[in-house]
Amino acid sequence: MTDLAATSGRQPGYAESRRRPDFVTQLYIYGSLFIVAAIVLVPLLTTALGGLKTLGELRVNPFGLPTQWQWANYGDILFSSRYWRMLGNSFLIAGLTTALTLAVAAMAAFTLAHVRFFGAGFLMNYFLLGLMFPIATAILPLFIRIRDLGLLDSYMGVVLPQVAFGLGMAILLFRNFFRNVPKELFDAAFVDGSGYIRFFWYVTLPLSRPILATVAIVAFVNSWNNYIMPLIMLNSQDKYPWPLGIMVYQGEFSTDWQLVLAFITLTILPTVIVFFAAQKHIVSGLTAGAVKG
Amino acid sequence: MARIALQSVRKSFGYHPVLHGVSIDIEDGEFVILVGPSGCGKSTLLRMIAGLEEVTAGDIRIGDRVVNDLAPKERDIAMVFQNYALYPHMTVAENMAFSLKLAGAPKAEKDAAVGRAAEILGLAPLLGRYPKELSGGQRQRVAMGRAIVRDPSVFLFDEPLSNLDAKLRVQMRGEIKSLHQRLKTTMVYVTHDQIEAMTMADRIVVMNGGRVEQIGRPLDLYETPANLFVASFIGSPSMNLIEGEVARGDGRPLFRTTDGLALPLPDGTNAAPGRRLVYGVRPEHVAPAAEADADATATIELVEPTGAETQVQMRLGEHLATGTFRDWPIGRPGERIGLRLQRDKIHLFDQETGERLDAARPRTAGAAGRAA
Amino acid sequence: MAQATSLAPGKSPLVEPAAQSRAPARRSGGLRNIGRTWPVLVLFLPPAILLFTLFVILPIGEAGWYSLFDWSGYGRPDEFIGLKNFELLWRSGAFRTALTNNGLIIVISLALQLPLALWLATLVSHRIPGATVFRLIFFLPYVLADVAAGLIWRFIYDGDYGLVASIASLLGFETPYVLADRTIAIYAVLAVIVWKYFGFHMMLFIAGLQSIDKSLYEAADIDGATGWQKFTNVTLPLLSPTIRLSVFFAVVGSLQLFDMIMPLTGGGPSNSTQTMVTFLYTYGITRMKVGFGSAIGVVLFVICVTLAFGYRRIFMKND
Repeated sequence: MTDLAATSGRQPGYAESRRRPDFVTQLYIYGSLFIVAAIVLVPLLTTALGGLKTLGELRVNPFGLPTQWQWANYGDILFSSRYWRMLGNSFLIAGLTTALTLAVAAMAAFTLAHVRFFGAGFLMNYFLLGLMFPIATAILPLFIRIRDLGLLDSYMGVVLPQVAFGLGMAILLFRNFFRNVPKELFDAAFVDGSGYIRFFWYVTLPLSRPILATVAIVAFVNSWNNYIMPLIMLNSQDKYPWPLGIMVYQGEFSTDWQLVLAFITLTILPTVIVFFAAQKHIVSGLTAGAVKG
Repeated sequence: MARIALQSVRKSFGYHPVLHGVSIDIEDGEFVILVGPSGCGKSTLLRMIAGLEEVTAGDIRIGDRVVNDLAPKERDIAMVFQNYALYPHMTVAENMAFSLKLAGAPKAEKDAAVGRAAEILGLAPLLGRYPKELSGGQRQRVAMGRAIVRDPSVFLFDEPLSNLDAKLRVQMRGEIKSLHQRLKTTMVYVTHDQIEAMTMADRIVVMNGGRVEQIGRPLDLYETPANLFVASFIGSPSMNLIEGEVARGDGRPLFRTTDGLALPLPDGTNAAPGRRLVYGVRPEHVAPAAEADADATATIELVEPTGAETQVQMRLGEHLATGTFRDWPIGRPGERIGLRLQRDKIHLFDQETGERLDAARPRTAGAAGRAA
Repeated sequence: MAQATSLAPGKSPLVEPAAQSRAPARRSGGLRNIGRTWPVLVLFLPPAILLFTLFVILPIGEAGWYSLFDWSGYGRPDEFIGLKNFELLWRSGAFRTALTNNGLIIVISLALQLPLALWLATLVSHRIPGATVFRLIFFLPYVLADVAAGLIWRFIYDGDYGLVASIASLLGFETPYVLADRTIAIYAVLAVIVWKYFGFHMMLFIAGLQSIDKSLYEAADIDGATGWQKFTNVTLPLLSPTIRLSVFFAVVGSLQLFDMIMPLTGGGPSNSTQTMVTFLYTYGITRMKVGFGSAIGVVLFVICVTLAFGYRRIFMKND
């Protein structure tokens, strides 16, 4: 059960699904699926449509199409620098987190997978400890550490702890993948005149694109959606990523639901678009930690 | 091109010794094959020559240098691996050029070297392909091409044909041999297949349990195996071996077994009566004979015709024996058959030590390689 | 570093091997080093070790230390109060509510969400048109940020504008203010949790179902098993690794639940929807009570360790 992504395209391996179900069964299946799909989608559609209504209409007609399409709700947000700065901050923080996670975790995992040294097993278990504890257990001392390092209210103050807490999973995924690089390839590269570092660069990394993508997706999505870390580390609003920005916005316009809904819609829009565009990679990436870990 | 000299080379993994002191001298331009059952240490020895394993004790010399502490790339060797070990993300040309790229060679030099190797092996049309687009034989050839590109003074082969099907294996055997004749470079080749060793090698090193059992030219090993292990390992089907002791017959000594067989000893045998020996004769040196000429009579158990010859398994006293017969009306299972043994092809070994027992024939040099 | 040196060049091969002492190189999983390893050890390991130690391990240790002090976070912690913080914590009704809520979330996840996810996984594993689309739709909430999901449902639950309100009035009920009612607010939160996370568990189960050999079902068919018998005798037992995984994620996820509660209720009304982490935020972080907050962290840590070991004892016995 390795590649969840392939699931979508390939024939289902689940045995009961070999024959086409009969009509009554199909009715039951589709009925159930449509009900659940409605429960999932109605809140989302209501939100998107709500952003196109006036407050008054929202009150009498929360779902259903707007009678007057209030495109201005969306337009105002799209033309505000606030929205774009927020997304930009999120992008910067997530990008830095992803790049650092990939570099640091891949190097460590490579060493753990290919070099025998005293304490290697201990070190691996040390990193795996990171999988066991939620960030919250240490959030206050973490805050004080970041403050003492002078990183409070800086992007790095958010990025570094995020990288550190993502390392356990990233190293685990990388190491399991790197271990499967055939040993003979390593011998061959050595005879060809390579050392560990050049082998990492010329052979391991080019061969590891799938796992690099997986780890990158996990790191990026976790950072993109993270709320607690920037909440604690950042003070100035112009550095806020979108989960913080959206809460601030909601605080400002708390009863102007139509604006808040438009804002929510626009902030989750990038996620939804990217999800449907790259669903194969994202589904496999986000479940990889579970399945391959 | 270079000589290789191994002197009392030992290897242990932790406290577990796998090589107990191996000494081999390989001449410049020689094709030497290390052969033995799996776990005998032959691959480890090859990897030590390559620099992929550390040397626990002893010296390895390539040319005039002791290379114990040199990295693989400093040893002027190239290696072909069992699973080819081609880099999957590089094209054939990139695979072949990788060592030169690491060494920082200019593009023109890389292209020239790759072109030359591709021409030798007929790989030119495949240069742009990736390993996964190649057949097993083609991959094998690319692995050899990668070795040729380095223009090394020694080629090392680690069971390179074991992943190929039987037909391709025979073909590649020929190609490797002709490659050697063309390049005239020293080659060391590891295999567990004694037929591969017999057909390709200038000299064979038979290894067992981390020791060298015998070193010699293929036919020397076949005709004068230095001990029981070599006798049973080389040759197919393997030699018939029967335990017993020297006894005094009517005038001339005989070989007598506990189940009452009496077999002739070769002329000039000077073993004292009562000495416990192992008597060996290859299936191809056993022939059917009329009752009067027969040295022994056996019961046929199994007849396996292979076309050119027929292998027959027989019960000889309490022993099972094999004979390889040509054009003789062989009987059916259960029938009796007279056997005559070719006198000058009989091998005798000491039961205690397993060592060969005829001082009459010269021992091959390599038997001394078996370390104390 | 296991860099057993080999013989110096030119050293006499006549020396008795026993006299040549060697660092025994053990064979760990067939892994052997070739060539120099110190460059890679020196360059590749320290960044990860440093980051991880500095931002994960040390803070966890410090939480244990700080939890023994009454400290505002400024200066040095010097007002040692022993276990007083833990005593305060235990006496806090809000914290006990938070603990209960975390427990409730785990129970709902196991009793409601897992069966739901498994059921849907079997449904979308049928060979029917549109199955892929349904999978993606069900997975979509998981991809959204907790904060966004929380805000969306805050609107849905809103008594003046929300969906729940208009459905209620359509049916002739009095408009409920779901999130403002301290008895039902937590159930409203639970519904959102299931809504957001069932898709993730469903994907796990789909992968688990795919790893089951089809021929087992054919064998069961020949043995005359009904659909339900096949499910209980083939599917469930073979799915047990996936179920364990799913349980693990449900438990870990519930323990760190925070992002979604904040936009929904912020832990209110009157602390009825606190979880351990929202409690930590409200009473430790916003008031800069480092000692008290760290004590909460320590409790969370202890629960995680206990669960992790309990989990291993219960589930990993056969692995």
